Amino acid sequence: MTLQMLLLAGLVLFSILAVLAKDLIKSAISLAVASLFLGIAFIRMSAPYAGVFEISVVAGLITVLFMLTIALTKAEGDVRESKIARLVFPLFFIVFLLIDVLVMKSLLQKVPALPETAEQGAFGDVLWKQRTFDLVGQLAVILAGVFSVLALFRKRNKDE
Amino acid sequence: MGFAAALLFVGLYGLLTMKNIIKLFIGIEVISKGVSLALLATGFVKKNILLAQSLVITFIVVEVCLVATALALIINIYRHTKSLDVRKLTNLRG
Repeated sequence: MTLQMLLLAGLVLFSILAVLAKDLIKSAISLAVASLFLGIAFIRMSAPYAGVFEISVVAGLITVLFMLTIALTKAEGDVRESKIARLVFPLFFIVFLLIDVLVMKSLLQKVPALPETAEQGAFGDVLWKQRTFDLVGQLAVILAGVFSVLALFRKRNKDE
Repeated sequence: MGFAAALLFVGLYGLLTMKNIIKLFIGIEVISKGVSLALLATGFVKKNILLAQSLVITFIVVEVCLVATALALIINIYRHTKSLDVRKLTNLRG
């Protein structure tokens, strides 16, 4: 349990670094490390498929996409972020953590949730039989993503 | 669940205070990490881990498509405005 807490604390810490770091490349790398921590936490919560997906796709593929975008735009010094936002962040974060600890714990017990039912069968059964419509939706989203990227990078004709 | 809420807060703070488009998108990514952590933690507590896992995988697939499209948009915006500053996106030209 302690290791799990350390992993989740590392996840939050690297997410803060990703948001507040000045350098975009450092931000992207911090985001990848945060994904790595999240993936390991998933695997420890007995969800190995989600963990492997998180590490390979989010920590791997999305980081590569971010790096490519940063390399293609080459305008790091262009935008000036306000220093006040960075300086004030710890104050806001501590206030939020206090609210989180004091309010959320009592609030969560009042939120209605589905009754606990022990699951049976393997992960494949749940994914292919129970969530079949999700898979169709995933295919549609992947196709939509491919077509939108193609549309955004198409070469224009001289007439346009 | 507290950690997921903290991630949501960090991402929202980034969205509200940053001006670089890539930084804004990193904020959205942090929020999405919080959402997937909340989904899986709920499944873990309620002993529905298989269902939560399949939902998280669906979420990750959708997230990747979103990232690919958004980064392509960011590159196109940079080509037009030569800047990554969101404040320069206030002018619409036909």
